[in-house]
Amino acid sequence: SSSITELLSALCDCSLSGVSWKRRALGGVSRESFHRALKKRAYGALLSNLFQDGTKGPAPGLSATANTPPRNKVLMICFDLRVAGCREEAERLEEQLGRLPEGGYSGLKEVDAVLDLLVNLAGSAPPPPTSF
Amino acid sequence: MASAANANLNAVRETMDVLLEISRLLNTGLDMESLSICVRLCEQGINPEALSAVIKELRKASESLKASENCTN
Repeated sequence: SSSITELLSALCDCSLSGVSWKRRALGGVSRESFHRALKKRAYGALLSNLFQDGTKGPAPGLSATANTPPRNKVLMICFDLRVAGCREEAERLEEQLGRLPEGGYSGLKEVDAVLDLLVNLAGSAPPPPTSF
Repeated sequence: MASAANANLNAVRETMDVLLEISRLLNTGLDMESLSICVRLCEQGINPEALSAVIKELRKASESLKASENCTN
């Protein structure tokens, strides 16, 4: 298994896929220097979020669902999808959630943490292109 | 012993497939490679909220790089 630093570095690599470096190298921006800058930003974001976890209760702006189990958060998204008229997507999401094994049966230790991450990232990507 | 390891590997594969499908339905923008890195980071104890902030930050940075590339084209 890899260390956190190696994994964060791999995550930076993933976000650089699709960038052309041949032309950039001519402009003085190398892949290595940008990778270093990305890692710096990644650690900045990680550490600033870690240190927000104080003992003075929830931070301002923290949603009321902060303590809701991630599976329930997904079900809440399903409800929102239904209200928005996206019944098919809601049903597919519920179906997948039902297929997700609990705890040790999944072979992973932190399924709920991953689910929480997905909920936090929900809708953060540009919508997929519509086909005609 | 080997069959137990195989069963665990199959369970991990199935769980990853389900997580990827959930990720796609939620439009998170994660592909299988970044999702598996995120899973391993969560297994190392990284807070999911902090990790989502990292991913959004990395996206912002790489998008600005790609945008500048488009401008120079």
